Amino acid sequence: MLSQRQAFRNRPRQGLIEICLGDHDRLLIADLAGQFRSLLSEGDDAALQRLYPTAYPDHPEHNVEYGQLVHDDLLRGRLEAIEVVEATAQEPSLSLDQLNAWITVVSGLRLVVGTRLDVSEQDEFDPEAEDAPMQSLLWWLAMLLDEAVTAASHYLPDPLTP
Amino acid sequence: MGHAGKNLADRRRFFMSAPAPLEVEEPNIDQNTEVSPDQPWIVLVWNDPINLMSYVSFVFQKLFGYSQEKADLLMLDVHDKGRAVVSSGTRERAELDVFRLHEHGLWATMQHEDA
Repeated sequence: MLSQRQAFRNRPRQGLIEICLGDHDRLLIADLAGQFRSLLSEGDDAALQRLYPTAYPDHPEHNVEYGQLVHDDLLRGRLEAIEVVEATAQEPSLSLDQLNAWITVVSGLRLVVGTRLDVSEQDEFDPEAEDAPMQSLLWWLAMLLDEAVTAASHYLPDPLTP
Repeated sequence: MGHAGKNLADRRRFFMSAPAPLEVEEPNIDQNTEVSPDQPWIVLVWNDPINLMSYVSFVFQKLFGYSQEKADLLMLDVHDKGRAVVSSGTRERAELDVFRLHEHGLWATMQHEDA
């Protein structure tokens, strides 16, 4: 019942973020993380394109170089974050680094699910639609991400610029 | 960008109402224009219908050390105008910023300042 209460609670004195998710939510995020790994490893799913954006829209040759340079790093970063989520899904609390890994996984999953659904900002939830379960998943991930960002924001360093 | 409410009743407010092009517009650039190597590059973040507004602002604060106020203004610029310049510098600096934004799933590109 993620919508009924906080998903994360800050314990600033311990430098920890308590996970307040129930068993179902914990199982779900660990399972989704595993599915995300499978998808990333396949490498040819159209929904993955959104995870590797174009850096130089006006310089195709630079863009090829950029893609070759960063593709493995982008992939590795997400795979490492997936491992952290799977390893901590049943833990009582997270370090800030672990929470950031959760944010990486949840935001990445949202990009994949949202791309699959071809969402636009005008979309409204239609419980009769064929993809209603996927829409619900996107929504669940949005709430989880929003709560994780709120928790992580407490630990942002003082701004460098006003 | 969408923004998450705290309960399912807020679902209708989840996705913002402004139109959001899925395709990045092709910048109008003369490919033959000579540009000096030290000319600053700018890093643009483009609107997309999936990333949450709260998340985009968080990423700007985390990566660039911007205050919440500045990050929120930039995020709203992305949302309202379709894109915003979030940093600038040498090609190397800009490419690193684009990479860090891509690590966070944001739709970032780079180009010469006068492009």
